[in-house]
Amino acid sequence: MIEVGNVTKEFSLSRQLRREMGRAYKDAKSIKAVDGVSFECAPGRIFGLLGPNGAGKTTILRMIATMLKPTGGFIKVAGYDTQKDGQRVRENIGFMTGQTALYDRLTPNEMVKYIADLHGMEPARFTERRDELFTLLNIHEFADRRIGRLSSGMKQKTSIARTIIHDAEVMVFDEPTEGLDVMTSRAIIDLIRSCSSDGKTVIFSTHRMGEVKLICDDIAIIHKGILYFNGTVEQFEAQMTKESYEDEFIHLVGEG
Amino acid sequence: MRRIWIIFRKEALDTLRDRRTLMIMVGMPLLLIPLLLLAVTRIQSAQFEKAERQQQRIAFFGIEYAPELYARFEADERLLLINGIEEDSLVNMITSEELAGAVLVAPDFLIRIAGDQQAQVQIIFQGSDAFGTAKDRLIDLIEAYDREIVNERVKRLKLDPNLFDAIKIEQTDLATMQEKIAEAVGGFLPYMFIIFGFMGAMYPGIDLGAGEKERGTLETLLSTPAARLEIVIGKLLVVMAAGVATALLALLGIFLAMHSFPEMPAHILDVITDMLGLRMVFFLFTLILPLTAFFAAVILSLSIYARSFKEAQSIITPLNIAIIFPAMIGLLPGIELNATTALVPILNVALATKDLLAGSINPFYLAEVYVSLLVLAGVSIWGCVIWFNREATLFRS
Repeated sequence: MIEVGNVTKEFSLSRQLRREMGRAYKDAKSIKAVDGVSFECAPGRIFGLLGPNGAGKTTILRMIATMLKPTGGFIKVAGYDTQKDGQRVRENIGFMTGQTALYDRLTPNEMVKYIADLHGMEPARFTERRDELFTLLNIHEFADRRIGRLSSGMKQKTSIARTIIHDAEVMVFDEPTEGLDVMTSRAIIDLIRSCSSDGKTVIFSTHRMGEVKLICDDIAIIHKGILYFNGTVEQFEAQMTKESYEDEFIHLVGEG
Repeated sequence: MRRIWIIFRKEALDTLRDRRTLMIMVGMPLLLIPLLLLAVTRIQSAQFEKAERQQQRIAFFGIEYAPELYARFEADERLLLINGIEEDSLVNMITSEELAGAVLVAPDFLIRIAGDQQAQVQIIFQGSDAFGTAKDRLIDLIEAYDREIVNERVKRLKLDPNLFDAIKIEQTDLATMQEKIAEAVGGFLPYMFIIFGFMGAMYPGIDLGAGEKERGTLETLLSTPAARLEIVIGKLLVVMAAGVATALLALLGIFLAMHSFPEMPAHILDVITDMLGLRMVFFLFTLILPLTAFFAAVILSLSIYARSFKEAQSIITPLNIAIIFPAMIGLLPGIELNATTALVPILNVALATKDLLAGSINPFYLAEVYVSLLVLAGVSIWGCVIWFNREATLFRS
């Protein structure tokens, strides 16, 4: 379960950033990346955080994963407050981005063990879970080769294994299919689906409307840090005044 | 504590598998230092021997005014006397190295010698000659002749030889061989291991900070239960260990280089071996440890601030100069460990090492060095932890 309540995140602007952002931000001390956003992600359902680049999706997910602290509001993950019980929150999440985020000089075996150790997994439980995942993802044959020498498909499999090794209750995917080919994207989509069918809470961000339609149960549409829609996919489709998801999105955020 | 160990173990393994780091950590101190030192000394001694063996072309003017002196020059196999040169072209020939030097005897030489007076001989040479061999050979020959003439005068005039040696200097050198060697190489040793301590920490530091950002693994790491403090400390310990290991290997490299000098006299080698005994290694280790902690904290702070490996490299590499400068001051003669210099980071380690090697360190100053280094290390680690906790540092865009 993830509860996001009236969350705001402001970033202070350096002089250089103010210059780069143009005249409108000339005297601004800070910028609101997220502005009063609230939503809930339930276990066993896939929650899609939808918005264009720079909408504030990554900021929200980073706040959920305790990497960033909200300026206002609260976030609860698996019942724990991200600001008061950061460690408990992290014990209960798996985090994945579009990058494979692996260490080239480690082997898949060592990579997965590192993450499992940091999560404090018992050795017997780790071995069992690793063998299960390595069989499922066909990692055994390259499990002891350096990651830097693996193909991108093999790396992606390793990345999936390290994300789910500790069998977290909440899964956070930040644009996980960004820049991936069709086959690898499909593997990630399958992973997200299997997490959901295992009863986990899944939140994933994307700017691809097609993905939302394909796998989401619930969606939140966000633009320039503001929440424009929050509800089930059925509710979204019911209130659509335009034909495609893309057109409806543009209409919703008032830029159409 | 358990997670710090997990992070340390992983980062250490990752670092040890990095060829670039290994090259700097092991290859440079253990191979490059001995090879460089050996090559430099070999080339230098070969050049010196060559200059010693080389016959010097000398022009002698006024053979008839000092035939005996000329005969001595002629008898010296290391000199080749060239006759028939115009006196006007002498300067040009010496500056263009056609001649190594010239001797010009005054026309009244014999008359003045015979009259028990002082006679004049002029020598011309090029002072920039690397080994000064021409000048030394000419002076040696003339002085030997001069001594004979004086001795003959003393004998003939029945004078007391002490007339010409009014004061006899008796030298008692209290400096031990250890102190002399420490003075000669004492500055060089800390200079080398301070530089290597920094260099050894540099690449792992960049990789563990900016490299983590560039690979996208920082977010993975931050989303694990490991606290930021545990992550920083785990990483810092690896960067520190790499720095300390490189510094100690540099020390070993210098030691091996000295042992491989064939010209090194055995008694000096014995003194050096004694100097670099366990006690000394312990002191060097305890000095380099807090200093490397400071290096590691600074490098890691800058590295985690940078957006990429390349940016981190361009920020951190110029720091080499900032490290070399105080270490070089330690090489200067006359700069000594005192209550003030004991507080200057890097310089204090250089000077303390020099005094430790000489076996004559003031315990009060040594304590001051340790306290200042520990404070410096503590403050910089604390700063690094605070820095690592800043969102603006970790997610700088």
